[in-house]
Amino acid sequence: MTKDEFQQLAEAYGGDVARWPLGLREDAALFTAQDPLSAQATLAREASLDAALDTLPRAPAPRELYDRIIADAPAGRRRRRLWRLWLAPAGVGAALASVAAAGLVLGAQLGQQSAITAEASAQAVADLDVSAVAEEG
Amino acid sequence: MTSDPDEELLVRIADGDPAAVRALVARKLPRIHGLAQRMLSDPAEAEDVAQETFLRVWRQAPKWRPGQARFDTWMHRVALNLCYDRLRRRREIVTDDPPQVPDEGPAPDRGLEALDTGRRVSQALAKLPDRQREAVVLCHYQELGNIEAAAVMGVTVEALESLLSRGRRALRMALADLVER
Repeated sequence: MTKDEFQQLAEAYGGDVARWPLGLREDAALFTAQDPLSAQATLAREASLDAALDTLPRAPAPRELYDRIIADAPAGRRRRRLWRLWLAPAGVGAALASVAAAGLVLGAQLGQQSAITAEASAQAVADLDVSAVAEEG
Repeated sequence: MTSDPDEELLVRIADGDPAAVRALVARKLPRIHGLAQRMLSDPAEAEDVAQETFLRVWRQAPKWRPGQARFDTWMHRVALNLCYDRLRRRREIVTDDPPQVPDEGPAPDRGLEALDTGRRVSQALAKLPDRQREAVVLCHYQELGNIEAAAVMGVTVEALESLLSRGRRALRMALADLVER
């Protein structure tokens, strides 16, 4: 990097080499090592402009602006979420109803099964009784 | 290509996550509001530009495709376009009562010493040609890299460097009594 190139880059990117484009910093460091007086004078000159530029006041974004922007955010999606929220209790209700219905079916089936089992048991007992009587006889 | 640090938030915003909306606004609003302030030197217009930029963001978020461009670069471009619209409108409106143009210099009853350095810088910046001001604002204040700033401005890196040099030279002249020669 020549002295002119170094000056041109400092005029563009300022007095802090750490803020120069990454690919130029190594060459800038080499030039600074070769011609420290010239490099430091150039950087100091630009750094004083940087310092002046940094005094530019900047008002922070007001809270109301933040709120307005949030309020503008995707209403459609919020509605979709609300729709989901509305659906959630309905889903729970449907699930409970399904469980209740399943319970009724299962209960009825169990009842039927119990009756069948009782009938079979009674028949078995009757059979036993008959065979016992036959053996005794 | 390095991954875009905003991508994850955009995916969540597209999915309707309000926390992601708040996080993106908290992350980007100070930058975009600052950019508009420095470009326009008008607080009310800067707020309008910031709000309008986010309206575009909400529209774009569900359609954002990773790998095209950095989201921050795109957002800067949107905000700058909105700033240019307003600067153009200002120029088109010929009026006896110009709208909130920053003070161009010391009034007869008010010496330079009465103006603080920040106000002087604000005036000097406002007097720069738009493209030079844009280059200085993006590189010095927004701290964008040269490739990113050039992409936002739609120019080559060489053209960006030229705009930066000319802009800073003009600022140095305007602030000659404050900076090292």
